[in-house]
Amino acid sequence: MSENRGAEGQLHESPWDAASGAFRAWRAGDATAVDDLVTTMSPVLWHVVRAYGHDRQTTEDVVAATWLGFVRLHQTIEDPKAVASWLITSARRGAADHARKARRATPVQDEALAARLPDEESAEAIAVLDDESARLWRAVASVDERCRKLLRVVAFMERPDYRSLSQELDMPVGSIGPTRARCLAKVRTALTEGDTHE
Amino acid sequence: MSDDDRLLADLRRMWQVADPPPPGLGAAMVATVAAADLDEEWELLVLVRDSAGEDLAAVRGLGTARMLSFSAAAGWSLEAEIDGEQFSGQVLDLGDDQDPTDVVVAVETRAGESWSTPLDEFGFFSLVAHARGTLRFTVRFGGVVASSHWVEV
Repeated sequence: MSENRGAEGQLHESPWDAASGAFRAWRAGDATAVDDLVTTMSPVLWHVVRAYGHDRQTTEDVVAATWLGFVRLHQTIEDPKAVASWLITSARRGAADHARKARRATPVQDEALAARLPDEESAEAIAVLDDESARLWRAVASVDERCRKLLRVVAFMERPDYRSLSQELDMPVGSIGPTRARCLAKVRTALTEGDTHE
Repeated sequence: MSDDDRLLADLRRMWQVADPPPPGLGAAMVATVAAADLDEEWELLVLVRDSAGEDLAAVRGLGTARMLSFSAAAGWSLEAEIDGEQFSGQVLDLGDDQDPTDVVVAVETRAGESWSTPLDEFGFFSLVAHARGTLRFTVRFGGVVASSHWVEV
């Protein structure tokens, strides 16, 4: 993602726009444009899959499976603008399927997985953050797991597809918008509380 | 931009720094897509047996060798034996109309390295690959590309 990031790792062009541009160019016959699409969207898919609590190795496997699905089914994507949300939806489904299988296979491990996030990783994560981001990290770590998952997925989506999101997160369709707002409010409250403790 | 959108953007930036993807993720995925060749039919080779979970090696006197068996949905299978850098095995049940010598077996790493060889007339293959850690097998013939999941060796 180096070509569309500044020194601080911030995006200059939205990955969704870059993705649809690359997809359009590839469809128009630029064979190398598919590499741009893959390079642009892989980090986004990474965050979406990580939101489901998978470890780094499993996350990479789910992202790879998403791309192989794209290779098989790219002809079914009619609108180039839809390529990013198609990929994100596909990655979320892969992540949710994988989580369900893991639960069936090793319930104990899955509980451990849920419990491990993000506390065990937070010390390492906070070490690389500036003060503002570290405040955010602590605030997010203090809200419930469902909110954390929803916010991380939504943060990397352009236009949340509430219908499929609701199925995966086991929430009514109409409640995703309000839930998003409620979760953001929880983060704000945690930010304020964090400030008064410091 | 609403306050909620702004907070979400801040959260996105925080996650990008706090939990970044592995540095080689983009390149690895580009290699994955390239290997899957967009014009070809892709399928998954499913691992059906792994000697790492059995006492098979001791029984067969294979010592250090690791035996893996994969099956494809189309009905054919790949038997592979890994002994250090020596990879050998056989592709079985490809069907009478498929000439084995037109079939290529590859050992691939996450870094995008690849070692490949065609099958002989009996469906056997043997190759030396300096591949350790995480690797997969890919079999190509007649517009079909079949890759296994990543395996730790």
